[in-house]
Amino acid sequence: MAAHEILAATQAVVTLDVAIPGTVWPWLVTVNMWAKSIGTGVIFMLFLLLRKYPEQAGSLRFPTVVVSIIFIHIFLLFTLADLHQPFRMWHIFFHPHWSSAITVGAWMATVFVGLLFLLAFLSFIKKDNAAFDKTLTWVTILAIPVTLYTAALMSQCTARELWQMPTESAQMIFAALLAGSATMILLSGSKLGYEAKKTLGVVLGLSAFMSFTLYMAEYIFGPMKAEEVAFTLEYIKGDGPYTVMFWLGQWVAYLLPMLFILLSRASKSESILKLAAILALAGLWLVKHVWLMIPQLLPMS
Amino acid sequence: MQLGFLVDLHLCMGCKGCEIACKVENEVPLSTWRLRVKYVDVGTFPETRRTFTPLRCNHCENAPCERICPVSALHYLDNGIVNIDKERCIGCAGCVMACPYGAIYIDPQTQTADKCTYCAHRVASSMMPACVVACPVQANIFGDLDDPTSNISKYIQTNQGNVQVRKPEKGTNPHHYYVGGGNVTLNPLASQRPDGHSLFNNITTLPVGGHH
Repeated sequence: MAAHEILAATQAVVTLDVAIPGTVWPWLVTVNMWAKSIGTGVIFMLFLLLRKYPEQAGSLRFPTVVVSIIFIHIFLLFTLADLHQPFRMWHIFFHPHWSSAITVGAWMATVFVGLLFLLAFLSFIKKDNAAFDKTLTWVTILAIPVTLYTAALMSQCTARELWQMPTESAQMIFAALLAGSATMILLSGSKLGYEAKKTLGVVLGLSAFMSFTLYMAEYIFGPMKAEEVAFTLEYIKGDGPYTVMFWLGQWVAYLLPMLFILLSRASKSESILKLAAILALAGLWLVKHVWLMIPQLLPMS
Repeated sequence: MQLGFLVDLHLCMGCKGCEIACKVENEVPLSTWRLRVKYVDVGTFPETRRTFTPLRCNHCENAPCERICPVSALHYLDNGIVNIDKERCIGCAGCVMACPYGAIYIDPQTQTADKCTYCAHRVASSMMPACVVACPVQANIFGDLDDPTSNISKYIQTNQGNVQVRKPEKGTNPHHYYVGGGNVTLNPLASQRPDGHSLFNNITTLPVGGHH
């Protein structure tokens, strides 16, 4: 039964209740997820490039680590800014509760940052590429759960039926691959040849395609499995408050980049590839934001 | 011992005495509520009726708020109460996002999470929660679910078949029961919420803890 049909059937109107709490996790959390996607995504891409194009990608070791450090710190900064008691952040380390994805994520992110600085040391001070590559393997492995822990956190939000672990974890990985490949396309400049950039374009295009497919699957089939999902998705359908932003995000993050990647392959144009990368990064923020906000609009009681 | 709550919705008349008693007892700041009574009007004129549903923390056996709290600020007491340590809370609002009952809020004064604790401080002194004492029709029944001779256990036995919990599909196993509830009273999605649904003002959403 559709949302409007349920309401029509019950003929029930809330006539006195407290105001619904406003947005609990605001845009700060969107930036958190967006920046983390870039921070871990570039590590995935560096790992890929060093194996596929070791000669060309060698000079990207240090710049990539610097970009990762910057975006992981943006992620951490915005996480901290979102806390109502940011000066008690240390409680996570001294009173950890291991059933919480927040705790596990905070610890993993801390180790991840430490390893990023180790990578920076190995590439910039020691200039030891062998040690760098060996360490990078472990950093790449750690980047997977660092990417995924936000999906675990969202799935622990029992109240928000829209966020399911298998889908969200796939979305997080695809977001990291999309953001990582887009950033590397922009970062690599003349250091990478056309073939290497084409590979990044393939990663970008495929992750955009997979993400779009997942969102559309949720959009079409989600309402068929849970009443709460049906009500939540009403906010991005018809004249819902997030309909425009949702579709803008889908076009800017996924559909246009896919189109531009095809065009860039046909015309062998790096400029079009860069345009696809910029759009993907901008659109990813919109997509993440909509998906973060809409479950928070639903009355819980 | 497993403390639990039961509200007989046949008896509740929506006087909001429990709300006020809770506010006073726990010094709950303006714009926030540990307990409130929701009014829902059902039907079309002239065939209408009004329902009253007191809503508070469900003190779940499998509490999502306890699980998601990164610092164990939300924790179980031996008597089954899900309590909160406001000194430890970091204000991540994970619990607010996790609670399927919308029972947790960010206290605008302390900038930490807060919720109904079944008046744990009163219970520790062998007193009843403030809302139970204030209810003029004894619609709130509080006691030990593990004790078959307690009022709440007897009430559940007497009303077998008509005892409900909110959102059982969430698997939280609430220790807060209703007698005489239904879809309209217990399911927030079964009612329309037109803008300005409060009788006394047009405020439909509140800034969380005055922070954002």
